[in-house]
Amino acid sequence: MKAPLGSASLPSRRRSGRALGWLAALTFLVPASADAAAKLRGRVDGFRNLLNPVWAEARDPKQHGYSFREPVATVRAEFRRLFPHAPKEICVVAFAAAAQKAPPPVLVRVGGGRTTPVTLVVPPGTRLTFQNTDPFKHRLHGVGINTFQPADTARGMTREWSVPAPGVFEIRDELAPSLRMWVVADPNVAAIAYPSMKGDFALSVEEPGEYTVQAYFAGKKVGPALPVTVKDVDLDLTKTPLKVGDEKAAALADKAAADKEKAATEEGAAKPEAGK
Amino acid sequence: MVLSRFWYVLLGLLFGAALFLLHIASSMYNRTGLRARAEGLSSDAQVVSWYLRDDARQRSAQLIPFALESDVGKYLQKSNESEAKVPDEARGKLTQALARVNAQIPKEAGFDSVFAVDQHGRVVAYLGYAQASGMEDFELGGYPVVADALHGYVRDDTLVLDRMYRIVARPVEYDLASMPAGAIVGARVIDDRFARELSQRTGAAVAFYANGQRSAAGSPAEFATANLDAIVGDLTDLEQDKDYRDKGRSAVREIGGMIAVQYTRLPGEAWQLGAGYAVARQPAAVSGPLGFFSHADDKDKKDAKLPLAILAAIAAAGLGILFSVLEHTRPLRVFKTEAEKFAAGTVEQLTPSRFRGLFRKIASDVNDGVDKQLAKGGGPRRGPADFKEVLGDLPDQPMMSAFSLPGDTLGEPSAPSGPASPGPSSARSAPGRALPSPPGARKPRPPTPGGADSPPMPAAQLDATMPEGGLAGWGTGAPDEAEWQGVFDEFVATKQQCGESVEGFTYEKFVERLRKNRDTLVQRYGAKGVKFGVYVKDGKAALKANPIKQ
Repeated sequence: MKAPLGSASLPSRRRSGRALGWLAALTFLVPASADAAAKLRGRVDGFRNLLNPVWAEARDPKQHGYSFREPVATVRAEFRRLFPHAPKEICVVAFAAAAQKAPPPVLVRVGGGRTTPVTLVVPPGTRLTFQNTDPFKHRLHGVGINTFQPADTARGMTREWSVPAPGVFEIRDELAPSLRMWVVADPNVAAIAYPSMKGDFALSVEEPGEYTVQAYFAGKKVGPALPVTVKDVDLDLTKTPLKVGDEKAAALADKAAADKEKAATEEGAAKPEAGK
Repeated sequence: MVLSRFWYVLLGLLFGAALFLLHIASSMYNRTGLRARAEGLSSDAQVVSWYLRDDARQRSAQLIPFALESDVGKYLQKSNESEAKVPDEARGKLTQALARVNAQIPKEAGFDSVFAVDQHGRVVAYLGYAQASGMEDFELGGYPVVADALHGYVRDDTLVLDRMYRIVARPVEYDLASMPAGAIVGARVIDDRFARELSQRTGAAVAFYANGQRSAAGSPAEFATANLDAIVGDLTDLEQDKDYRDKGRSAVREIGGMIAVQYTRLPGEAWQLGAGYAVARQPAAVSGPLGFFSHADDKDKKDAKLPLAILAAIAAAGLGILFSVLEHTRPLRVFKTEAEKFAAGTVEQLTPSRFRGLFRKIASDVNDGVDKQLAKGGGPRRGPADFKEVLGDLPDQPMMSAFSLPGDTLGEPSAPSGPASPGPSSARSAPGRALPSPPGARKPRPPTPGGADSPPMPAAQLDATMPEGGLAGWGTGAPDEAEWQGVFDEFVATKQQCGESVEGFTYEKFVERLRKNRDTLVQRYGAKGVKFGVYVKDGKAALKANPIKQ
């Protein structure tokens, strides 16, 4: 854990950290030579059919996450689904045919009950800088990761960790149960991007060649992989969007969740649980 | 004495019964207190739970004015459109809108902090959360309570951040065809003020805890809030409580004999963090029968009807004294008075009819005894007899000395008397002493007292003490000097048996002495005669004199 760069005031440091994060992302995503880089513009579709696992778990009455939870009737049902916030939770990855070198340190902001980003796909050896953006401390740790033991990170402070090897790693916070982050390490990661609220994304690859575009959510692949051949010009993949969530499956999941919630509510009404 | 004894037995039984009842009462009190305390604690925990839920619902309704404020929805929507950065205009306008609405909410129904969150989870504006001052990237979107609000739900939560907060959130709608523009989040700090307010409304002593520390506490006036600090030491073992682990509410736990506590997890994220609240009550157990005194307060003592208890004690004591006077003091006094009259000769006998119970029997027996003694002509005195009373003025030199030692001077009144006091050795060895005559032989006349030829007599062994049963001989003997020969023979034989010398001990001297003694007794007591007997005293022969009245 180390202090943010510079000795500016706290807001300045945060702005600096944020700039550092974006700089790191740009460094990671944008080729050194702008002329040689190519953009892959695409779109993620159906991400509203996904379900944020943390929020979905929290709505289960058996988790005792609330004493009352009621839908607002004026909000349409399609928006009540606990779909993820795509700009933070869905990571679109361009895999190269060969292993890639580790990029510069990637800034991960810790605040608001989650990390930004929530899912991160990087080559092994990538250094991650966790910056606490909350006005109180966090205690991050890697689940089953010896090199990432629980330790306090005070307000505005940072903590670093290098992804040790290929695989999927989960980061949690002992002081904030809702905070869960997934780091996917793959040596062939060439570029990553996060879609907008509408699902649009843009990947920048350094070298022409064969790539595979894949979306990740909550540490897992979602949707099919999209193979692309990159040349010196930008590619428009919006006509073949990455369909990451299925409407029917989501509807079934919604129904199952609603039934479960209803049963638990009725059970709770018949036999009030402690703490409620 | 029946009443007194009955009263003592009754008092003993009552005392034993009272002690027994006190032990039973203390046991029942403790058992009932334990059950009532457990029920009370469960009730307190339930009431606090209901209060927290109801309070959250009530306060969630206070979020509606925020959500309906046009500027709130409008500027949240504007913030949504800028993914890179929250527009400054949106921050300013939203802050004003929040303040405007917040000013209209009654203070007791309001929040410590209010946050306006856009779809990205960013806090666009807030009130009452100085910790986030200057933090442009402050956000709350990852918390399930905020995410639910952004997706169209109203709900509550308990978050443990820098402090513990009760949170309610609801969506802010701007375009009904779109996702909610954002969420409005209200927070109340769980501090001592919150706990006191809760305690005032529920009547429970409650302490909130998180991260192994007590974070807030409030209690009714009669409960010392400082006692709630004791839960800190108990929190480490709390996770071992199966009920607490599985159901979120522990069994009743007693801490150091000071307080009984029941723990309940708080709903929300705090549940997973082990945060919760404890309701406490002070134990109402007594250590024993006397423990009631230490636990009784002024009201208890007032309700205890002390005057009645004092009256009962006085009545019981009075009855006891009355019985004692009636059955002991008074009869004894009457008996004493009558006995004094009897002793003074005022009355001839005790009157049993004046007495009751045992005294009547005693009086009757005394009368009977006196009657029997009178019927026998009077009773003998116990103890050594006054020789002078029996024998009259006797010379200091025993007149009976002739019975013991021949040659002792008989009738020398100036000679000192004394039992077994030997005479002068010259007198004992004086000639002319005759051996006792055999029975039936003619006895020489005893010499004249004070005569020159009278040999000195040895110290007399005459004892007028009446032997046991001696009364039987009274009045039955005939005063005949003819019997004295037999007495002389018996006396001489007894002296010889005792190893005493009989040299010079003549019948004449013996008879002269008996005659003189007889005359003295007859004259003094008016007796008809005196009967002499022989007995052994202290290993020597002695005579006893029995006056004969009839």
